[in-house]
Amino acid sequence: MSVRFSDQLIAVLPRLRRFARGLSGSVADADDLVQAACERALARQHQFQEGTRFDSWMFRIVQTIWIDQVRARDVRKEDGDIAEDRLGSDEPARRVEARLALNEVRRALDHLPPDQRAALLLVTVEGLSYKEAAEALQVPVGTIMSRLSRARIALQLQLETGRGGHRSTKDAAAQ
Amino acid sequence: MQQRSDDRLVAYLDGELDVAQRREVEAWLDADPAACRQMAALAEAAHLLRLAFDEAIHEPVPDRLIAAARGEAAPPQSGAQILPFRRRLGAQIVAPRRWRMGLPVAASLLGLLVGSGITYLGVGKLALDGVAGKQAALEATATNNLWLDNAAAYFKLVVSAGDSPPVDIPATGDPREALQKISQSLPQEVRLPDLKPWGLSFRGARLVVEEGRPAAALVYTTDNKAIGPLGLLIGSSKQPDISPTFDRRHDVNLLYWRHQGRAYALVGQADIGYLWGIANDVAWQLDAV
Repeated sequence: MSVRFSDQLIAVLPRLRRFARGLSGSVADADDLVQAACERALARQHQFQEGTRFDSWMFRIVQTIWIDQVRARDVRKEDGDIAEDRLGSDEPARRVEARLALNEVRRALDHLPPDQRAALLLVTVEGLSYKEAAEALQVPVGTIMSRLSRARIALQLQLETGRGGHRSTKDAAAQ
Repeated sequence: MQQRSDDRLVAYLDGELDVAQRREVEAWLDADPAACRQMAALAEAAHLLRLAFDEAIHEPVPDRLIAAARGEAAPPQSGAQILPFRRRLGAQIVAPRRWRMGLPVAASLLGLLVGSGITYLGVGKLALDGVAGKQAALEATATNNLWLDNAAAYFKLVVSAGDSPPVDIPATGDPREALQKISQSLPQEVRLPDLKPWGLSFRGARLVVEEGRPAAALVYTTDNKAIGPLGLLIGSSKQPDISPTFDRRHDVNLLYWRHQGRAYALVGQADIGYLWGIANDVAWQLDAV
């Protein structure tokens, strides 16, 4: 294994964890996902093309493993099953309200279909362009655009309706 | 039509439109309050989404992921990795591959542990108390290797982050506040060495793992590329005291020592001369020598 490849992998770990956390909805599952992605990347490092974005390549690996897991397990989180390992137990009270609002966002994300979730995270959170996200997810740019649009509207609806608005979110996501 | 409109607003928000398209959307927003409200709502949702996952970037990366990125087996939980050696009492002790990679350090550490300059290859003849003594020495070596590897990896994260080092507590305002906050998660309070004479500015603190226990990683930066950036790790230790010892891991220089239950490591690209000088300064300021 080349030192440079390993260095690149270590440098991108925080972003991989963030992306995986958004996909999986769980801190522990996200780290398992990143670990599996590291192992796969090391096994297939010869497939990485120098001159292309390393982070996009890793995002693709993370997303591919996650999709495989979703398909294999048919796992869809139920309400209230998501935030337990994200909530701090001894935080100052003044921060709890803000954290609950952010948990609402995470919960809304967890209700999006997997393909929309990945597109939304790559573009909105990781800052990839549509073209880069399309390459990472191996779909046309137009597909990224439509997924993003549906995901954003669904997310917005969820936040507007607040808790209990999951039906609206799912409806929007399914459009 | 509505879907196309939403697509256009989202693309505008993501900066994916050309100049003509942007002007078209801006004219539309000026003329249509409903579209304007929709845009504001979409922007707010995107902002909240980024905030919701921001914390993941600033958390310490678990050791097992760093090990996975290096293609190594998962690190032990509090030294559990060396348990197989206990089951092989009396058998030939074969160091795992990652230990053999650290032979020079092992030699240095074991030499210090027994107060002599004997080498790692002389382990079998050490004046330690039989196999148990060897195990204790090897445990110490394994623990030492692991946290030094991690210290080098954390430093690389700092370097790769450029002007925004990944710290849990940034040094905004009074730097002592950052230390007080990070100390809340540590067994012992951490004091902040003033390294301004070296041109080093404290940028923040990060919680890391050192010898299986939480430790503070203090991040300093400087315009002097011969010195910085620099990391100073301070944690607790159950290992014996050792004098400052130089090592190099993954193209990163380290100078580490232990004193009265505390482990220290200076980590950076600076050469050994700078590290020795700064280490002396740190040790003097922290009563760590």
